[in-house]
Amino acid sequence: MSETDQEPRIRGLVAVVGLLFTILVLRLFYLQIATSEDYLRESDDNRIDKMRIKAPRGLIMARDGEILAQNGAFYTISLIRSTKGNFEAAVNALHEAIGGPPIAGRYTKKSSSIRLKRDVDFRTVAIVEEVLKDEWPMAIEIEAKRNYPADRLAAHLIGYMGLPQEQEQAADFLGITGVEKLYEHTLRGIDGVRFVEVDARNRIRRDFPDEEKPSVSGQNLVLTIDYDIQRAAEHALPDSVPGSVVALDARTGAVLAMVSKPAFDPNIFISFQDQEQRLQVINSPTEPLLNRATKGTYPPGSTLKLIGAVAALETGITDTLSTFEACAGSLQVGDTTFRCFKRDGHGELNLLEAVETSCNIYFLHLAQLLGMETWRDYAQRFGFGESTGINLYPEDEAGLLPDRQYYVETEGWTQGHLMNLVIGQGSILTTPLQVARYTAALGNGGHLVSPHIAGPAPATTAIQDVSDATLDVIRRCMRRVVYGKRGTGRRAWVADVEVAGKSGTAQVPNRNDDAWFVSFAPYDDPTIAVAVVVEGGGSGGLVAAPIASKVMDAHFAQQRSALLREDDRPLSLAVADTGNGP
Amino acid sequence: MNLLRETDTTLLGTAALTAILGITTIYSATFHTEAVSTPLYAKQLRFAIFAVIVALAVVYLPNKLLYGIAYPLYLSSFGMLLAVLMWGTGEDVKRWLTFGLVTVQPSELAKITTIIALARYLGDRSGDEINLARTVLGGTCLTLIPVALVARQPDLGTAVSLGAVLLPMLYWAGMRPLYIFCMVSPLLSVVFSFEEVWRVATPFVFGAFIILSTAAIHFLLSRLWFTVSMATANLSAGLITVYLWDQMRAYQKARILTFLNPESDPQNTGWTIIQSKIAIGSGGLSGKGFLEGTQTRFEFLPEAHTDLIFSVIGEELGFIGALVALSLFLFLICRALYIGYVAKNRFFSLLAIGLASMLTFHVFVNVGMTIGVMPVTGLPLPFLSYGGSSLLANFTAIGLLLHVYSNRHEY
Repeated sequence: MSETDQEPRIRGLVAVVGLLFTILVLRLFYLQIATSEDYLRESDDNRIDKMRIKAPRGLIMARDGEILAQNGAFYTISLIRSTKGNFEAAVNALHEAIGGPPIAGRYTKKSSSIRLKRDVDFRTVAIVEEVLKDEWPMAIEIEAKRNYPADRLAAHLIGYMGLPQEQEQAADFLGITGVEKLYEHTLRGIDGVRFVEVDARNRIRRDFPDEEKPSVSGQNLVLTIDYDIQRAAEHALPDSVPGSVVALDARTGAVLAMVSKPAFDPNIFISFQDQEQRLQVINSPTEPLLNRATKGTYPPGSTLKLIGAVAALETGITDTLSTFEACAGSLQVGDTTFRCFKRDGHGELNLLEAVETSCNIYFLHLAQLLGMETWRDYAQRFGFGESTGINLYPEDEAGLLPDRQYYVETEGWTQGHLMNLVIGQGSILTTPLQVARYTAALGNGGHLVSPHIAGPAPATTAIQDVSDATLDVIRRCMRRVVYGKRGTGRRAWVADVEVAGKSGTAQVPNRNDDAWFVSFAPYDDPTIAVAVVVEGGGSGGLVAAPIASKVMDAHFAQQRSALLREDDRPLSLAVADTGNGP
Repeated sequence: MNLLRETDTTLLGTAALTAILGITTIYSATFHTEAVSTPLYAKQLRFAIFAVIVALAVVYLPNKLLYGIAYPLYLSSFGMLLAVLMWGTGEDVKRWLTFGLVTVQPSELAKITTIIALARYLGDRSGDEINLARTVLGGTCLTLIPVALVARQPDLGTAVSLGAVLLPMLYWAGMRPLYIFCMVSPLLSVVFSFEEVWRVATPFVFGAFIILSTAAIHFLLSRLWFTVSMATANLSAGLITVYLWDQMRAYQKARILTFLNPESDPQNTGWTIIQSKIAIGSGGLSGKGFLEGTQTRFEFLPEAHTDLIFSVIGEELGFIGALVALSLFLFLICRALYIGYVAKNRFFSLLAIGLASMLTFHVFVNVGMTIGVMPVTGLPLPFLSYGGSSLLANFTAIGLLLHVYSNRHEY
C-alpha cells in the first residue's frame, strides 16, 4: 500500500486509539487520584472487621462475700457466614453428624458469624473439632454462662437471666427478673472491640492487638443478704410448703434474708437443654416464680393486734393495768358472735396478758372504743396499704388497708368489719415484707425503715405521735409472747438472746389457716426483725415461731463467733506491741 | 544475524516485558492461595517461553506461505470451532478442546486466523472494489461465521472481539468513511432508541438521530434509493428495539440492564466490578506495594489472576503502575499500526492493522471493565492475564507483526 494514500487513514486509526486510551487514563485518574480516599476507606472496611469482646458480667454476692451468681462457660458452634446455600449445606452436615433436634440457627446477613447451636456437649465439640471444621468454616465459641452456685438460695431476689424473645440463637442473655434485671446496666459491663483483618470468606488473617479496646468488666453487686441467715431461713421453710420468710436489719431495713417457697433453680433458665424443667416451673400451680415475700398478699392475723394496742395506748383507751370484761370464749357485737380461739375463755386480762395469750375478745372490746378511723390511721403509719418502696423487680405489692369508704362501696359498713381488721382478719391484705417492716418499727423505737437489698441504707422515718412509753409497753407485751407462761410464741426462743414476738393464725378462704410469726431481737435493742408466714400451716405459734427462731439463731450465732474472734484479738495486738515498743 | 536486524526487536521486547509483568502479577495474585505442585505463575512462564518460540518461528515463515495458507487456516479453525461445539469441554460453556495432554481454546486461535483470512480477502480487492456491496457482504460473512460459532459456546466477549476487527480493516482497505458510518448506523439507532438510557427524551433523541443521519447520507451521496433504504433500515432498527424491549419480561430486561450496568446488581456480577473499582481506587498514586494488595490477598477480587489482573496492578502498583501497563500496550498498538502503515504488501498491511485492532479492542474492553466503563464480558487482557491459549495467540500475533515487518519492503 502506498504510504501517502494511507496517511489520512492512519491518522484516523491513531486518533481512535488515542481517544480510547484517553478515556481509560482519565477514568484511572478519577479512581486513583481524585476519589482514591473513598476507595481506600472501602477497602479497609472490606478487610477490617470489628469483633466484640464480651465483658464479663459482674458477680452477685451476699454481704459476707459468698457468691450467689458467677460466670461459667458453655460452648457454641458458630459458622462463618458466606452464602445462604453454604449455610444450609453446613447446617445439614452438622445435623447429620450430631443428630438430635433440628439445628436452631437461622441465616442472617447481620453478623459475620452465625451461632448454629448453643450450649453443646463435649461430644458435639469433639465432632466439630475433628470432622466438620476441615470442610466448613465452623468455630467453637466459648460463651459466658451465668451460674448460680447456691441453686435455689434467694432465687426470687437474684432473679434469673434469659434470652430476649425471637432471637434466641443470636442474642446475649439479659437479666429478666430480680436484681439481675434491676442492676443489668452495672452488672453487664462494657463490651470491648477487637479489630481483625479478614478475607472475603471472613476468615481471620491478622489481629491488631494495639488497636484493641478491652472490655470493662461489669461491677460486682454486693447484696445486703446474709448468706447464713438466708440459708437458715431456706432450710427452716421446706420447699414443699408455700410460704415466706423476711428478715430485716431492724435498724436500717437491710434485707438480711428473703425466702419465698416453693422456689426455683435459676440455673434452668440459662441452659439450652432444660426446656422441660423450665416449662414445669412456669406452669406449676404452686407458682414457684412468685416472690411471696413481696408479691404474696395475706391477712396477717393476730400479728396485727399490736396496731390496735398502740392506738389504744396512744389514745388513752387502755393502759397496762386496765382490763375489759372477762373473756368467756365469745362476744356478741350487734348480730354477730365473735369467738376467741380458746373456747372456755381467757378470763379477765390486761393488755400484757391479752397480747401474751392473743385473746381476741380483749381486742374486740378495744376496737369498739377505738373506732375505724383511729385504728386505720395507726395501721397506715406503720406502712400498711402501701408499697415499702423496696427497689426490686418485680415491684412489691401495696396490699390492702381498707377504709370505711371501701366497705360502704362493697358489702356495706358495719362495726363488725373493724372487729375483724383489729385481729388481722377480713379484707386486709399485707405482704410479709410489710409485716417485717412493721415488726422492725415496733422493736426499734418507732422508726419506719426502708427495706433495701443493696447499697447504702435509705433514710428511716420516725413514726409520728407514737411515744417511747407506748412502744416500751408493746415490747414488753411481745416479750411475754415468747417468755410468758401462757405465751403463744414460746417456740421462738433463742439461746442467750431475749426475743420479742407475736404469733398469728389467719383464716383464709379455701385452705387451712396461715401460720404467722413476727419477732425481733435482742429485746432491748433489736438488730433483726423477722416475719414468717406458712400458707395453710395452722397455728402460728406452733409452726411459724420455730422458723423465726432458727432464722434469728443463725443471726446471733454469727455474732457469737464474731465476739469470740474479737476476744482473741487483743492478745495478738499485745504481742505486736511489745515488738514495736517505743 | 542479518535476519535479527530485520526484525523489530523493540516490539518483541515490549511484548516480552508485558508478559513478564503479567507473570509477576499472577504471582502476586495467587501466592496467598494454597500451594499447588506447579504454581500458576510458573505455568504462565512456560507458556510464555513456548509462545515466544512460536512467535519467532512465525517470523521466519517463507514470505508467500501465509498468504497461501490464509484460507486453509481459516477453514481449519472453523473446523475446530465446530468440534468445540460438538466435543468441547468446560462446565457451563464449551470452550476447550482436549488433545491428550494439551487443552486448547480454538476461539483464541480463530481470532488470528480470521484476521489472516480477512486480510487476504480484502487485500485481494482494490480500494474501489472494497466499496462494492458484495465485497462488504463477503467480508462480513467471513467474519460473522466464526463470530456465530463462538457466540454459540457461548462466549459473547470473544465473539464480539472477533467481529471488532472487521470495521477497522474495511476502513484500512479503503472503504469510504460514510459507508462505515452506514454499517454502524443501525447499531446507533438501537442505542438512540433505548428508552432506559434516554428516558422521556427518547423520541426526540431518536428522531434527531434519524433526521440528521438521513440528511448527512443524502447530502454526501446524493443517491435517493440509498438514502431511503438507509433511513428505512435505521428507523426499523429503532422501532424493533422499542418493540422488543416492550415485549421482554422483567427478568430479561434485568439481565440486559445488569450487563450494561453491573453495579446495579451488587450481589453478583456487580460485586466483581465494585471490588475491582475498590482495588484500583484504593491503590492511589503509587499503590499498596507488590504483594500488599488487600483486595487481592484477601480474595475480595475474584479472578484476580485472569480477567481482573489489571485491578491487581492498579491496587498494588497504583496509578503509576497502571500507566506503565497502559503505556506498554499503547506502544505495542502504535508499533503494530506503524508496521501496517509501512508495509508495502496490501495483505501484510491489512494483517498488521487487523492485529492492532484486535489488541486495542481487548485492552480497552478488559481495562474498561475493571474500572467500570465497559460491561463485564470475560475478555482476557493480552499478555497479562493467565492463560496459555491467549498468550499463544497474542505472541503469534507479535510473530505475525514481526513477519510483516521483516517483509515490509516486499510488494
